[in-house]
Amino acid sequence: MNQDSTTVASDSSSTFPGNLSMETFLSEDFLSTSFRIAVIIAIAFPLILLFRGWARRFFSKKYATHYGMLAGKIVFYVGLIILIITVLGELGISLAPLLGAAGILGVALGFASQTSVSNIISGFFLIAEQPFKVDDIITVGSNSGFVLSIDMLSVKMRTFDNRYVRIPNEMIIKSEVINNTKFPIRRFNCSVSVAYKEDIARVREILVEVAEKNQYCLSEPAPLIIFDAFGASSIDLLLLVWAPKEEYIQLKNSINEEVKARFDKEGIEIPFPHVSLYSGSASNPIPVEISEMKKLPDQEKITE
Amino acid sequence: MSETIWKTYDPEPGHPGLHINLDSLHIWLKRKGDELWVAHNFDQEDLDLHRPVDEIESDMIKWSRWALKSSESELKLTPVFPNLPVIVSSEFPLKIAPNSRIQIVTRIPLWVQVSQEKTKYILTELPSSTLSRTWFGNPLEGEICYWLKTKARRNFAELEHKPNLINCPILIVNKTDEDLNFEKFCFRVDHLSIFNANGSLWADETRIEYFGEDMNSDIIMTGKLPEIIGKGERISKARIPVNKSFATRTFKKLFDDTFVSAR
Repeated sequence: MNQDSTTVASDSSSTFPGNLSMETFLSEDFLSTSFRIAVIIAIAFPLILLFRGWARRFFSKKYATHYGMLAGKIVFYVGLIILIITVLGELGISLAPLLGAAGILGVALGFASQTSVSNIISGFFLIAEQPFKVDDIITVGSNSGFVLSIDMLSVKMRTFDNRYVRIPNEMIIKSEVINNTKFPIRRFNCSVSVAYKEDIARVREILVEVAEKNQYCLSEPAPLIIFDAFGASSIDLLLLVWAPKEEYIQLKNSINEEVKARFDKEGIEIPFPHVSLYSGSASNPIPVEISEMKKLPDQEKITE
Repeated sequence: MSETIWKTYDPEPGHPGLHINLDSLHIWLKRKGDELWVAHNFDQEDLDLHRPVDEIESDMIKWSRWALKSSESELKLTPVFPNLPVIVSSEFPLKIAPNSRIQIVTRIPLWVQVSQEKTKYILTELPSSTLSRTWFGNPLEGEICYWLKTKARRNFAELEHKPNLINCPILIVNKTDEDLNFEKFCFRVDHLSIFNANGSLWADETRIEYFGEDMNSDIIMTGKLPEIIGKGERISKARIPVNKSFATRTFKKLFDDTFVSAR
């Protein structure tokens, strides 16, 4: 076997690759090596995929989806590297020169890829700190959406209008991230403004009734009404109501509509912003003098 | 009477629909070819029940259809407990002295389970009255439950028969050296069976042993009615049967930070 391979090597070194004879490829040694490599790949690759699937399922079930995704990737790439090394070994290629070259290349790449390294390290922090997980709804800067995946370099997100957003991990670590679905229940602060003339006690009663009848509003934590401010044109109240996180939007929509409908029914005024102008004394209206109306000669023409 | 509706129905093909009423809940069952159709509605002022069900507008009642594997059309109505635990809140707070016990009766509105008689396949479950929901726990963790006000009656003789309510006898044992302020507790009804005793629906007796606010309470399902009620016939099994007892949060209060900051 060794003799044959030596012959092939010496032949190939002395001639152009295009001049390799057909016999070289049909030699017993070459065919045997090719067969071994094919068998290794045929067995190992499905095994890698199998282990990747198992790792994904196991870690997703036991911990969180993104741990499953990460474990799957680690298993896949480690398995792939082992497979490549094995195949190279079968081909008789020594790894030492390759590793030496990789070391030099690594230094060069290291200088050139500081951002990527920073993202990878940030990715580790994200995995350890776990500010959010796959399927959570997060807000980063001006983007809100579902987390699709937390990868080594970036976090992938799907916005509500179905756009794909890739945010580098480094940016996530540096900026403010709001996780809208971390906790099981959420409070909606419904701002309600009523005219100064309204009876606040009555308004409170109505708001409590509306909250109690709303199908998404939880009985506990109990709905609460806060007297927020004496506004410029209105008395501003806050109706604080809670819902399960999955029903937050339904609560927001329905309670606003129900408050408006109930106020209309009860004759409670929701005022528009208005300004009172005074001249001189604060309590006297602006004096308006109506002079005698004179018909302009061409008025009819103008109005026509 | 409640016992009259808990039976088997066989809607005939072509029949406009069998009408069943329980408190505010109206159910219609009908058969169209191989399909079973079920509709329901809660009392509405503008719903005319004298009209044939096919003529009632679709926004008043909504039909659901089942294309079933079996050609069997017999349907059975069974009373079941709500599908979530119920937070039972006492109308007037009741204090239970240290190392003492009290027995109360609380009444839970039942759900109607519609299933196939032979295959036991459950088509749907409908609440006899709609309960609001609440959160039992703190803002970080807990569970969704139904919310119910109770008179927490002490005297069984005071109970008025209501076909849509299940009488639930509860024995609360305060095993601490402090008062147990019974304002509300989490009643895990999915572990209870339903019995028919003297025409009324009863649940097996629950014994709750309280060891303090920060501790889990022991809950023991006795599996039988209190002696005073006598022997009843079990008509519905527990959703989640338990062997004998389990420990869980029952009296934990909700952490409320609203008054710290409203914004």
